[in-house]
Amino acid sequence: MKPRKAWFSVIGLAAAVVVAACGGSSPQSTNPADETGTLTIWLMNGSAPQSVVDGVNADFKAKYPNVTVNVEIQQWGEIGTKLDTAFAGSTPPDVVELGNTLVAKYAAAGALEDISGKKSTFDNSGTWLQSLTDSCTLTGKLYCVPYYAGSRAIIYRKDFFDAAGVQPPTSMDQLLTVGQKLMQAHSSDPNFSALYFPGKYWYAALPFIWDFGGDIATQSGGKWQGSLNSSSSQQGLTQLNTLVTALSRADKTGDEAKQDDAFAQGHIAMIIANGWEVGVITGKDKTLTDKLGAFPIPSHNPGQTAPVFLGGSDFGAAAKSKHLSAANAWIQMFTDSKNMSQMATVGGVIPNTTSLLGLGTGLNGVFYSAAKNSKFVPNSPNWASVENANVLPDMLVKIFTKQQGIPDATAAASGRITTILSGGG
Amino acid sequence: MATAIAADLEPASTRTPRIPTRLLPYALISPSVIVIGGILAFPLGMLVWLSLQHYGLRELIAHSGEWVGAQNFQTILADPLFHQVVLRSLIFTFTCVALTLVLSTLIALLLLKVRQGVRIIVMSALVFVWATPVIVTVDIWQWMFDYEFGVINWVLTQLHVGNFIHHNWFDNPAQGLGVLVLVVVWGAIPFVTITLYAALLQVPGEVIDAAHVDGAGAWQRFRFVTAPILKPVFLIVTTLSTIWDFGVFIQIYVLLNQRPSSDYFTIAIYSYRESFGVTQYGLGAAIAVVMVAILLVVSVFYVRETIKQAEIA
Repeated sequence: MKPRKAWFSVIGLAAAVVVAACGGSSPQSTNPADETGTLTIWLMNGSAPQSVVDGVNADFKAKYPNVTVNVEIQQWGEIGTKLDTAFAGSTPPDVVELGNTLVAKYAAAGALEDISGKKSTFDNSGTWLQSLTDSCTLTGKLYCVPYYAGSRAIIYRKDFFDAAGVQPPTSMDQLLTVGQKLMQAHSSDPNFSALYFPGKYWYAALPFIWDFGGDIATQSGGKWQGSLNSSSSQQGLTQLNTLVTALSRADKTGDEAKQDDAFAQGHIAMIIANGWEVGVITGKDKTLTDKLGAFPIPSHNPGQTAPVFLGGSDFGAAAKSKHLSAANAWIQMFTDSKNMSQMATVGGVIPNTTSLLGLGTGLNGVFYSAAKNSKFVPNSPNWASVENANVLPDMLVKIFTKQQGIPDATAAASGRITTILSGGG
Repeated sequence: MATAIAADLEPASTRTPRIPTRLLPYALISPSVIVIGGILAFPLGMLVWLSLQHYGLRELIAHSGEWVGAQNFQTILADPLFHQVVLRSLIFTFTCVALTLVLSTLIALLLLKVRQGVRIIVMSALVFVWATPVIVTVDIWQWMFDYEFGVINWVLTQLHVGNFIHHNWFDNPAQGLGVLVLVVVWGAIPFVTITLYAALLQVPGEVIDAAHVDGAGAWQRFRFVTAPILKPVFLIVTTLSTIWDFGVFIQIYVLLNQRPSSDYFTIAIYSYRESFGVTQYGLGAAIAVVMVAILLVVSVFYVRETIKQAEIA
């Protein structure tokens, strides 16, 4: 390097240090009452009841009177692309709700603030749900705050079950026979599905794979290897394929987005769904309130339940945010005990802490206890790419539409997962 | 030329400094070159530059990639999925362009024969189709082909064509791509028809009449009189249709709920998926570069034909 160039870079470096110092220290030294500007929050569609959001914003306004809070509701469909471009820009949203399977990707890319040192400032941080805390943790550092969890069970029509003279099944084989009896009882209805299962619904396919001991991928020596083609995974998918073929008239190439609408129309006896979907269904047809029941997805071992996917969301603060202290204050308020109780009772989701799990009563109790036997997708920074590349939905569609046999479809998907998880395209 | 001659006649001493005549054309064309360079060459250059780098999410956030040379191109060329995608795109484009041209020509010829009132109705319908935003029309098509509630399944069942209740048009990729061809061709017909109809109006009536008198049938009149006169217009609409259909994106993406399976990947969808789905922006850019290269071949053919036409004229 020529001396002159070196001199310039020293000036540049000094300037950068000064700017960084100003940028870093000023928000912390200011009194919340003096802070100004706009705090942008991205919440996912349907995640929080409006009353909770309004309550948090009112509390926030009391502490930060001169900061405007701008809550923007995002859709799940294209959220990956939106987050990528937002984080690449210079003014990303200050707070983002992230699906728990997406956190690792953004944490690894440096998009989220490392909040390891602030953990104790959040309510209940000692009793956060372990799997949500795990989803926020990468190489021992904490990048987000657990928000809520959701686990799936089967929602069913009690009146249809009574009319067909069947009880909630306690094994996968029973699930098939109960479903077949329901199909017979409704044989005059060409739209009837005993178990409505849209082809791309991969979250609901995982319990079948896990129940037989299969998995999406296994890690050994720091390397991920796709394992959907293992014999136990294939066994689970074979069982699922039998159920779908016999009991479902749902779109084999469709996804679960419309399943609550479809269920409310009255041609479906069972769906695999989250706890909060009970509210969505009864919101569409009030008369269904007393007719709905729920039971956990049964295991192939009679009397046991299948492990379910623990979904959920976390809150992260963008590393590039210019209002980090305000952003974290907003997250603290949203995830405090008062609002988490609201999320459980009004929102119908599983709150972020084990200390509030007693709030799950009635139908909700079924979903809460399902969460106790739950599993998670590979916690790798590259997992989000597996989701965005639609590897699992594509595989399921190929199987259900019989374009490929289970061995071929799983082998292709498994190979793709190995490639993506090891950092390839 | 007149100015140049006048300038030569003036005494040298009184000349004001000006651009030498030789450079004048370049000076005149330079603003357009700069604008085209800015909006076309620069992004294209950036694309090529991106295609030579490893550019994932981390690099995107940090705004700096890692130089890998031709590695992205090696990766895609070795990927069997990429070969399938290119082949599918080419077949899809060929089918769409051929159908669009044949149907549009037939409609344009028909428009010459029908009464004024009918012509106005058909033309208005064509302009409506052309004017409606693609997103809106694709949404409507999606509803019509819906698995559970689609009107097409209902009508086909009512007409006793077969049992189409719960018929899934996208189960079988060959059938699904057929639906996509229909939607794309439907959207492309108006522009091509109106252009061809305008061109047909320019064909001199006396030439057609003379051919008629000489005993040429309808097909011969079209083949040996009308078609050669229309050749430059055919060339333009074929080239434009090829470029549009090769880059098809919205129709596939919206009709398949933003999650098309790999059986429906065309080259544009594949490039988007690699870039924004799997966050391999370098790889996505490499695919886009290959796409541009294929289209360049089409454009070169078009330019060569245009020059030939100009020489004949």
